Amino acid sequence: MKEKIGIVDTLEERKPYITRKQEKGQEIPLACDNNSLAGAISQRACVYSGARVVLNPVTDAVHLVHGPIGCAGYTWDIRGAKSSGIETNRTSFSTDMKEIDVVFGGEKKLSSAIDELVELYHPPVIFVYSTCIVGIIGDDLESVCKTASQKHNIHVIPVKSEGFKGNKSDGYKAACDALKRLIKRPSEDEIKKKGPRVPDNIKPKINILGDFNVAGDVWLVKPLFEQMGIEVIVSMTGDSTAKAISRAAEADLNLVQCSGSMTYLAKWMQTEYGIPYLNASFFGIEDISLALRRTADYFGSEKMRERADRILEAEINRIMPEISRVRERVKGKKAAIYMGGPAKALTLIKGFAELGMEVVIIGTQTGKKEDYEQISYSVRDGTVIVDDANPLELAELLIRQKADLMVAGVKERFIAYKLGIAFCDFNHDRVVEFEGFDGFVNFAREVDASISSPVWKAVKERILKPEAVESEQKLGKIEKVAVKDMTSGENYAKECKGMLLKPELLHQKSEAAVESQV
Amino acid sequence: MTKRNYATVNPCVMCQPMGSALAFKGIENTMVLYHGSQGCSTYMRLLLAHHFREPVDIASSSLSEKGAVYGGRENLKKGLRNVINRYNPKVIGVATTCLAETIGDDVPAIIREFKEEQEIGDDPEKDIIIIPVSTPSYGESHVSGYIKALDAVVRKFTEKTEEEKSVKIPNGKLNVIPVESLSPADVRELKEIFDVMAGDYIFLPDISETFDAPLREDLPKIAPGGTPLSEIADMPNSRASLGLGTVSKNLAVKYLEESHGVPGYDVPIPIGLSNTDLFFTELVKIIGCPIPEKYQKERGRLLDAMVDVHKYLYGVKAAVYGDPDFVFSLTTFMLELGINPVLIATGSKSRDFEAKIRQIVEKINPELEPEVLNGIDFDTLNDAVSQCNPEVLIGNSNGRYIAKSRNIPLVRVGLPIHDRVGVQRILNIGYRGAMELLDRITNTILEATDTFTAPVQTEPAAYTEKKSEKECVEGMR
Repeated sequence: MKEKIGIVDTLEERKPYITRKQEKGQEIPLACDNNSLAGAISQRACVYSGARVVLNPVTDAVHLVHGPIGCAGYTWDIRGAKSSGIETNRTSFSTDMKEIDVVFGGEKKLSSAIDELVELYHPPVIFVYSTCIVGIIGDDLESVCKTASQKHNIHVIPVKSEGFKGNKSDGYKAACDALKRLIKRPSEDEIKKKGPRVPDNIKPKINILGDFNVAGDVWLVKPLFEQMGIEVIVSMTGDSTAKAISRAAEADLNLVQCSGSMTYLAKWMQTEYGIPYLNASFFGIEDISLALRRTADYFGSEKMRERADRILEAEINRIMPEISRVRERVKGKKAAIYMGGPAKALTLIKGFAELGMEVVIIGTQTGKKEDYEQISYSVRDGTVIVDDANPLELAELLIRQKADLMVAGVKERFIAYKLGIAFCDFNHDRVVEFEGFDGFVNFAREVDASISSPVWKAVKERILKPEAVESEQKLGKIEKVAVKDMTSGENYAKECKGMLLKPELLHQKSEAAVESQV
Repeated sequence: MTKRNYATVNPCVMCQPMGSALAFKGIENTMVLYHGSQGCSTYMRLLLAHHFREPVDIASSSLSEKGAVYGGRENLKKGLRNVINRYNPKVIGVATTCLAETIGDDVPAIIREFKEEQEIGDDPEKDIIIIPVSTPSYGESHVSGYIKALDAVVRKFTEKTEEEKSVKIPNGKLNVIPVESLSPADVRELKEIFDVMAGDYIFLPDISETFDAPLREDLPKIAPGGTPLSEIADMPNSRASLGLGTVSKNLAVKYLEESHGVPGYDVPIPIGLSNTDLFFTELVKIIGCPIPEKYQKERGRLLDAMVDVHKYLYGVKAAVYGDPDFVFSLTTFMLELGINPVLIATGSKSRDFEAKIRQIVEKINPELEPEVLNGIDFDTLNDAVSQCNPEVLIGNSNGRYIAKSRNIPLVRVGLPIHDRVGVQRILNIGYRGAMELLDRITNTILEATDTFTAPVQTEPAAYTEKKSEKECVEGMR
């Protein structure tokens, strides 16, 4: 075994979570899927956050946070998930627990809050999220929700998301458990009928799992399947409604995009209702093509496969000129990826390859062992792979790996900017679609704009410091010229002590200076 | 409107640990650690990064289920060890979250234990100072979290025996302690005023550099700047403390007065004409030097600007919302401009808010009977807006939903502002800040009510009829 050399300066306990791909195909022993280290400043959030980001795009639901105000306040409209209709999900609801509720229990307040919100909003479903406090004081959410469900004859579903009970992944699971309760159970006959081959005269049905319609992504994806003659029942949870989710078990197939959050639900639907699933990604030319072709192959229909090929040919021809143009501009640049989930990280590797770029750092908040294995197969030797990174590690890695661009979320954005490195947001914050064919064009353009902006040139040019000027003078690089030529101000002249710079020497490239700081 | 008693819809307030971070981040070489579960630090880092557009590192003791059941002692100690190891701070502010408070961790005791184990003393010169502050989210709001943290900081650095207290070496300085956060630009402006007035001062907390750091060749682990620790320790020797804000109780000012005999003066946050006048008058009284000509000129320019726009603003109905002291000062300025703040609201419940607001309205425009709301959410504000029909909203970004749905322009001030740039540079303080604020408000109103139509351009026949090439050539001859 090769001797492990420290990749970045970090805490001893963090070292197993950072590795470098050494040889092609080699399995990497990366530690992952653990709780974050105290004091390490993880970029992760909590269980509640995991549940919230998965469920929040359900557009007509009341998302009621049972806890103190903070939890609801910071996650208000957090996803940037677009809706084609009602937008109840963008309103923040909380029981705003106070000290007295913590002492005497919050069940009464919760059930009164539910009553009020039903009266005001008439929602088809209320998701009641539990927060840290609820887990500690032991409010019985299950029974409060059950009573409210019966009283109002709507779904009132507890989401078991106490912040401290695990990490973000456990929140995904809690969200899936809540979705499970919404999905209507089909009859035994219907379950038996599920099979891979659907006759040509029947329109097959699918669900998309793990697409959250950030910036309207789903709207660029759904039509592709519809053109193939497939009905998309629901996308979970982007632009979904309680009613559409309840019909999910009618599907013949589930396509899972965000594997981290939705594989659990897909597996459950397979065991319970006999609905198989395929992993898919709608980002990047290769992955979209795979998604369409594999779906067609699954249904075993020649006609559908032909349609898929026709769509792909037409779409790829349509966007290739623009992709090629960008590729010429950005090829050879080095990218760093730090994502919440591993599926997005994996598909981004291919996306960058299509733009002629190389990935030099790849990390996720919630990857599991098999995800990192998959990642290690997909990246080149020397690429740094990191789990649950923190700001100091990211900053040092960006410099050491000489990244030109980072793709991540808001907390990482300013780390990159402060280092003079381009950044592209692939999280809740973006306002343009990145999925589908036009989405990939958007992505390519944004990568180009991020890398090619002249600001990075300005950032790399430093004004010479006085001491640097002196040393340059000693080396004879800068001429000494009489003071009077430079400025008429006597005081200024005195300060400058005879140093005069040629205008072109006022700036120097000092990438080396940045590096030396690490 | 259906009255709600139990559900909060769209919160207009943030929680206590958030406020503590705002205060701690204005102190030299300080790291913040939240004792609680991982999410709290991530959310607040996200909010502050969005607002200030800076990297914001806040550590967490990352309590898990085990910690929640058996107590967070080990996690907190580990967190402290790791923060010291990686960031090498001089100060660590430890703020509790609701989880740590509810499981009943005795944070000061854990810290004492930790310091003994690690052999960390209490000498601010060479030891790491760890400052606990109790800030459960279900307590009050970010405003109280901020005030509590500042109070804890001042107490920690000025702990003295009775004997030590008796030997005071006056430093001739003025302590300046604002409640509620100002923008980095506000802090810079205030510091400049003190520099010009030749008054030596100690400004706490100083976020002018830490939340608006220049792009440098390196990325320091902790942003440089903030109030120097030696200065905080020197605060008991100052000639007076000037608190900015009169609605919320400025605990640090009060403590310095009661425990160290430093006389405290509280003035409203200097937003607008009369508040800035009050601020300068108080300064003149304390420092003894007259108002420099520079500021007299600025005052004149502000008056000039106010005269220029008075007709645009007179009688315009406004809704002002945000943190209590900030809203109080904004309201005063609106009244001075002839704007009618028909709706004045704060999300942070504050005991004196309504009385103070009523007082100032009575003083400047007794005919006005504004709706004053204390401790509200945005849904309640929305209902009130529908009743009062303001023509402009003045407050933070979260009011944008109301602004959009009701088609009322919004002037963004306060925290958080995550959908516009330049928060660090927004200046509201002093005469210059008042001018900038005045211009922003006026231009927003003008933009919204713009009835100017461009005259139809009728081009002369000579230009519209194309001359033949021949004619042109001939014409040139």
